[in-house]
Amino acid sequence: MIQFLNLLINGITEGLVVALPALAMTLVMGVNRFPNAATGDFMTTGAFMAVGAQLLGVQSLVLATFLAALITAMLSAASYELIFKKLARQPMIASLLAAIGLGFLLRSVISFFAGHDQRTFNVPLVRAWNFDGIRILPTDLAIAGAALGCLAVVFILLYRTSFGRQLRAVSDNPDLARASGIRARKLMIGLWLLVGVLSAIGGVLLGMKAVVMPELGWDHLIPAFAAMVLGGIGSPVGAVIGALLMSVAQELSVPLLGPSYKLVLSFGVLALVLMVRPAGLMGRVDLIR
Amino acid sequence: MDRRSLLKLSSAAAALQMLPGFVFAQATGSFRVGSLCPVTGAGSPYGPGMQQAIRMAVDEVNAAGGAAGVKLELFSEDSQTKPDAAVLAAKKLIEVNKVQALLGTWASGVTLAVMPLTDAAGIIEMNTSGAPAISTLDTKDLVWRYQATNDRFGQAFAEICKKNGYKRPATMAFNNASGLGNTQGFTKAWEAAGGKVVAHVTYEPNRPSYRSELQKILDAKPDVIVTGSYLPDTTIILREWFQSGTPVKWIMPGWAASPDLVKALGNEVTEGIISVDSVSNEKSKSYAHYDELYTKATGKSGSTNVYAAMTYDMVVVLALAIEAAGPGATTEQVNAKIREVGNPGGTPVFTFAEGKALLAKKEKINYEGASSKLDFDKYGDVTPDFGVYVIEKGEFVRKDVVSIPPGV
Repeated sequence: MIQFLNLLINGITEGLVVALPALAMTLVMGVNRFPNAATGDFMTTGAFMAVGAQLLGVQSLVLATFLAALITAMLSAASYELIFKKLARQPMIASLLAAIGLGFLLRSVISFFAGHDQRTFNVPLVRAWNFDGIRILPTDLAIAGAALGCLAVVFILLYRTSFGRQLRAVSDNPDLARASGIRARKLMIGLWLLVGVLSAIGGVLLGMKAVVMPELGWDHLIPAFAAMVLGGIGSPVGAVIGALLMSVAQELSVPLLGPSYKLVLSFGVLALVLMVRPAGLMGRVDLIR
Repeated sequence: MDRRSLLKLSSAAAALQMLPGFVFAQATGSFRVGSLCPVTGAGSPYGPGMQQAIRMAVDEVNAAGGAAGVKLELFSEDSQTKPDAAVLAAKKLIEVNKVQALLGTWASGVTLAVMPLTDAAGIIEMNTSGAPAISTLDTKDLVWRYQATNDRFGQAFAEICKKNGYKRPATMAFNNASGLGNTQGFTKAWEAAGGKVVAHVTYEPNRPSYRSELQKILDAKPDVIVTGSYLPDTTIILREWFQSGTPVKWIMPGWAASPDLVKALGNEVTEGIISVDSVSNEKSKSYAHYDELYTKATGKSGSTNVYAAMTYDMVVVLALAIEAAGPGATTEQVNAKIREVGNPGGTPVFTFAEGKALLAKKEKINYEGASSKLDFDKYGDVTPDFGVYVIEKGEFVRKDVVSIPPGV
C-alpha cells in the first residue's frame, strides 16, 4: 500500500510536468492544425535560458524561469510570424516538417554555444518528508505546485477571458470566427506567446527533475505527444488528463513489469483507449481528419 | 590488345578497386592513421586529451625516423560520443583518407558501430571501450582493446564489496551493453564467491525521474548499490536517493562518478561514493616518459586522463608492429605483429625508440605500456589494474589498487 502510494506520487509529479508541453501542443493542434514538433526544443531553450540566467547572477530560480519564459515566448511568437503563418495555407505536413527543422536548429544553436555537458539548476537539495514510509520530496511538491499553478492560469485564460473565448471560436470553426469579426493576427500572437511560456516552464520543471542537456526536450517530446493523442487532439483538459493517466500507469506498472517495460505499458494504455474511443478521451472526431 | 584481353584486364582492375585500401597503401610512403576520439559529447572530459596523446605519440615516432622506413600520417575526427556521427566520421577516414588503422574510439556504442566498417575495410581498430560483446564480435582479430572490459570492472566491484565487508549488494544498470556488462560481471563474480544480489533493475535512458526504479532497489534494503551507469542518469538517481534520505553506499565506474558529478550535486551528496577506474601503469618507465610528454603538451599531469595513456600506447604499439613487420608490409601483416611486440617473451622496452633499436638487431621485444602492461589476450584485450577512489569533500582520494587476474 505504501509502495503503491509512493509510486502514485511519482506518477502524478511526472504527469504534471508532461502536461505542460502536452497542453502547448494540443493548443497549436486545435488552432493551427499541426503537431508542433518544436515544442520539445522550446522546452530546452527555456531550460537553458534559466540556467544561463542563474550563471549570470540571477540567483532566484523563479526569477530566472520568468526571464526564460519571456525570451522563449518571444521566440515562439517570432517562429509563428516568420514560419508557421506563411505555411498556414499549405498542407499540414509542411508545417510539421518546418517545426522539426526549427527544433533541429534550436538544438544545434544551443549545443554550439553551451556544449554537450550536462547542467543543473542551482537549487538546494532537501530531504524528503517521511510520513510512515510515504515519501514526499519538497522539490517534487514545488514542481507539481508550479505545474498546477500554470495549468490553472491557462484554463482561466481559456475559459474565463475574451481571449480564450475567441481562441476557442477559431478552434471550433475558423470561417465562422472570421465572419464574426474575430481578428486572427493578435489572437495567434497571443496563442504562440502562451505556447512559449508553457514550454519554457515545462522545460525548467523537467530540468529540475532531470539534468539540462541539449536533447532534454526532444527526448521528452514523444510522451507529450502521446498524452495529447490520448486526451483527444485539441482538447486542453484532455491533454492534462492524458498526461496524468499515462504517467501514473507507467509508474504503477514498475512492480509488475519492471522499469524496462513501463513505456510499453503506457503505450498499451494509449492503444486501448484509441480502440474504444478513436478520438481520444475528450476529443472531437472532426479534428482528427 | 584484342577485346577479350582488354575485358579481362579491365575487370581485373575493377576487382582491384573493390579490394580494401591496404593493398596499395604502403606505396604512398606513409602509414595512415585515423583518430576518432570523443572530443565532444559524453566523452568530452577525456576526448581532447586522448587526441592530443595520439598526436604526441605520432610526432615521437616520426622524430625517431618513423617505422619501417615510413612516417605515420595522422587524420583526426570527432566521434561526438555518438554512434551515428562516429560512423560518418569513420567512413570519411576510411574512404577519403584511406587510413589503415582507426584509433581512440571511447564509448562502447561507438566502437560497436564502427567495427563493421573497419572489419569490412580490413583495417586495425583500437579502442578504450568496455562492452564484453566487442571481444566476441571481433572475428578477424583486428580489434584491440586498451581498457578493461565491463566484465572485469564487475569483478573489481565484487572484490571491493568483499574487502569492504558489504553483505547485501543491489545493482542498477543503464540499459546498454556497457551498463549491463558491469552489473552482470559483478553478479557473476559475486555469486561465484557464494554471495547473493538482493535486487536488480535495468533502467531506460532519458527519463525525467528514476524514483520508482530506486524505490524498488531500496525496498530490498541493500547495504551497497553497484551501478553500471553514466553521468546524466547517475546525477538524477543520486539526487533522488539523497532526498529520499535512505543511507546506503555506492560503487560506480569512474566515468559516472567523475568530478562532473561532484560539480552537479555538491560535496554532501557525493560524500563516500566509491569510484572505480582503471589506473595507468604508474610505476613503469614508459608511464614516466608519457607523463612528461603529456604534461608538456597539455599542462596537466598524465594521471588526469587515464584514456590518454591508452591512446598513447595505441600509437606506440602500432608503430612497433609496423617496424617488426618490415618495409612494404600489408595492414594484415602489421596486425599480426601486435601481440609479438606487446606480450611477454621478449626484452621489455619502454619507448618506441628503444623497441626500434632492438628490432633492428632482430631481437624480440615486449613493450610495457604507459597505460598497462598490455599483454593482449586471445580477444585482443588487456588487463589494467583498477584504482579505488573514495569521494571525500568533493576530492577523489585513492584508497586501493585492485588487480584482476587475466580472463579466460
